[in-house]
Amino acid sequence: MNQQIDDNLRRVYSQAAEEPVPERFTELLQKLRKQEHEQEQENKSPENGGNGEDK
Amino acid sequence: MTDISDPRDELVEHLPAMRAFAISLTRNPSTADDLVQEAIVKAWSNFDKFEPGTNLRAWLFTILRNTYYSLHRKRRREVEDPEGALVDTLSEKPHHDGRLAMEDFRRAFAQLTDQQREALVLVGAEGFSYEDAAEMCGCAVGTIKSRTNRARKRLAELMALDESEEFEMTDNATAAVISGKPAA
Repeated sequence: MNQQIDDNLRRVYSQAAEEPVPERFTELLQKLRKQEHEQEQENKSPENGGNGEDK
Repeated sequence: MTDISDPRDELVEHLPAMRAFAISLTRNPSTADDLVQEAIVKAWSNFDKFEPGTNLRAWLFTILRNTYYSLHRKRRREVEDPEGALVDTLSEKPHHDGRLAMEDFRRAFAQLTDQQREALVLVGAEGFSYEDAAEMCGCAVGTIKSRTNRARKRLAELMALDESEEFEMTDNATAAVISGKPAA
């Protein structure tokens, strides 16, 4: 019985996990990367020193 | 420069699993994707807290479920409880093929509590150890074990119609299930 439940569970779950990832997520990751690069650049440049260091 | 790869590059590999986990929690694909989006942003801004070499998926799942529970607490009063709507349709349909049986399973699964769905997915579907799942959920190992057991028991109860059909598999039994009359 538990075996059957787990088989069903894995089937339902792997169906969801096999769906292609929507573009919004790959775009989001690109955006986050870009933001980070920009922040790094700002932190490095002298006129923006201290920016983003308020953690 | 170190030769250790940036764990953030690996995030994308875990997106499909994060979405599957989010769907299990929210029971709604569009809410699930909003949840995944929020979890990605949170993970990204906290990646300095991730210990390289430890389980990235477990770390991401932890963020995802914490995000879910904090959003869910906020939304609880706004969102209509989907469980009531599902109960009505549970015993209506015959189960002629695997696809319908899967639908039944989904409906039954959706009726479990948040904690039961979470424990069952982490342990039963993702294959995390009880210990890892307990750490991810911030509870004792015994708690995860009992949640998993209760989830399986409840699913078995909810799927009882399917179970009896599967074992008997006679036309009489099937007719009885559909008509609601006892099998001859």
